[in-house]
Amino acid sequence: MPDRTSSMDRPLPEGVRDLLFADTAAFRRMEAALQATWSAWGYREIHLPTFEYADTLATDVGSQVDAELYRFFDRHGRTLALRPDMTIPTARVVGTRLYDQPMPLRLAYTGSVFRYEAPRAGRQHEFSQAGIELIGAPGTVADAEVVALAAAALQAAGLPEFRITLGHVGFFRGLLAGLALPERMTARLQSAVARKSEVELSLLLAEMPGLPPVARQAVLTLPRLSGGAGVLAAAEAVCLNATMMRALADLRSLAELLDGYGVSSFVTYDLAEVRDLGYYTGITFEGFAPGLGFGLISGGRYDTLIGHFGPASPAVGWALTLDRLLLARESQGMIEGEPRPDVLLGGLAGAAGAAALGWAAAARERGLKVEVDPLGLEAEALWRAAAARGIARAVYAAAGGLLEVRDAHAAEWRATPHGSWEEVASWRSL
Amino acid sequence: MAEPLTVALPKGRLADDALALLARAGYAVPANGENGRRLVLDGADGRLRFIMVKPADVPVFVEYGAADVGIAGLDVLREAGRDVYEPLRLPFGYCRLVVAGRSDRPDLPLRLERSPRIATKFPRLTEAFFRKRGIAAELIIMSGSVELAPLVGLADLIVDLVQTGATLRENGLVELRTILESQAVLIANRASYRLAAAKVRALIDALASAVQRATD
Repeated sequence: MPDRTSSMDRPLPEGVRDLLFADTAAFRRMEAALQATWSAWGYREIHLPTFEYADTLATDVGSQVDAELYRFFDRHGRTLALRPDMTIPTARVVGTRLYDQPMPLRLAYTGSVFRYEAPRAGRQHEFSQAGIELIGAPGTVADAEVVALAAAALQAAGLPEFRITLGHVGFFRGLLAGLALPERMTARLQSAVARKSEVELSLLLAEMPGLPPVARQAVLTLPRLSGGAGVLAAAEAVCLNATMMRALADLRSLAELLDGYGVSSFVTYDLAEVRDLGYYTGITFEGFAPGLGFGLISGGRYDTLIGHFGPASPAVGWALTLDRLLLARESQGMIEGEPRPDVLLGGLAGAAGAAALGWAAAARERGLKVEVDPLGLEAEALWRAAAARGIARAVYAAAGGLLEVRDAHAAEWRATPHGSWEEVASWRSL
Repeated sequence: MAEPLTVALPKGRLADDALALLARAGYAVPANGENGRRLVLDGADGRLRFIMVKPADVPVFVEYGAADVGIAGLDVLREAGRDVYEPLRLPFGYCRLVVAGRSDRPDLPLRLERSPRIATKFPRLTEAFFRKRGIAAELIIMSGSVELAPLVGLADLIVDLVQTGATLRENGLVELRTILESQAVLIANRASYRLAAAKVRALIDALASAVQRATD
């Protein structure tokens, strides 16, 4: 055994982590549930490269992504970067390779993404994302499909309780256009709205005595436009122009469709969520779960991104952080154990060994997890080893070709049911 | 009984002011005597639960959702740079974060300093302030007695909180610049703002009108 202190000599770089058995199993199960869900909705998976040219990934997606890129050089001195999300590489694939395919395209992916951001709530610099994009379809029917699929995916992945908060960048963009403020004021307003600082909004208004009352009212109401479907009605009263009205109309028709999907109970609204204003072009949404202070899924409509890589095409999608989904599930009591073998099989050294291995193959074919003892343990030692590792049963190939089984229910060995696989099949764990 | 909202309060004077305001806003708050060693206190009406934490930790508790809302100084909030909502400013905890130096310091504009050594408990804000002005400051991060640093030659300047300025004057220091005007701020977790929307909204409105009544 290596010296206990030797791990001190092999530190992990900042921002990465290993997942051990139970967590890896949970990740695989979540991925499988997500894949089953989106595949049932007609989404096809693609596999994307881990790194690309930095200028591809930093295309007009805002300084935040740019600052968080992991960059390095290839052998020719060109700058490469690890993907900070999957949406940009997906947009590149669509823009450069799939642009003439029949639309709409339904794409899905899972994989690691990399960002220099302070580790928070399960997100290291490298973290796992799963997501979908619906490409080539403008309009609220596509929006609704994507939001409803988000709810279906979270449910399928084993999260009982969550909320998806819907917004629309058109509402705030329309408000800014209606206010026609100097650039500096616009930046301050956006910053105050992003932090939901009701006080700062009042202070800002005090600096702009020339603003018409209806515009003042719109600004002051913004932070209150967060909550149930009643928000949409309240928002109508403060619409300054057609852009704001259109955003609301989109959300209303989205709300009806989501009702049809049967996911309205998961949905709330927030018309003053102004993050990623430069990236999204229509609806936006973010999912929250009790016990996790951070959003775990986010998405929206981004009709201009694909145009950076090829013919423009409307698109809407989401990505969720698997690490956060796992934390949210755990805080809601969904804790899954480590997967263990169903049987520890021993006594292979003698003449009975061959028969035992044949039994193992037949049992595995029936879905049992059978682990073979390579240490040559005697029957009692074999049972102790199984018990110590949480394996429910030990099977021992006794002399004379007889297979004997021992489990926690009885204190002694008995003959393994031969010929009848019915009982053996019931040993299978899920 | 519905779950109470968890409120993170900064141990010390800010907590007393915060509790007084919450009481004026109609919430049951723990009596002053209770504000001792216990770290978790329940309001008698079951609407709020209070956790008492170090002032600098309030934004962390709230960002992670360990507290739904919190009351923190703006100085601490900006220094922490945490991702939280900050609906209200509250009328207490007023102070300024200032750059100060020895009163016998040569009368030289800050921007002409070569690479000033600056002692502070607020490294992020200090770094940002000087970097924005093109000055490569050398930060000396301290956890207390910052005023001492220039007196004994540890630092050229300090960045520290000032209420009246008396401590600075007593130590032969003068204010050179104000970095931030600070006061208490109500902050809220982004998820709680959605998941406990009605309760958070009620708290914001109750505090806002209590503040309003006090200023009218």
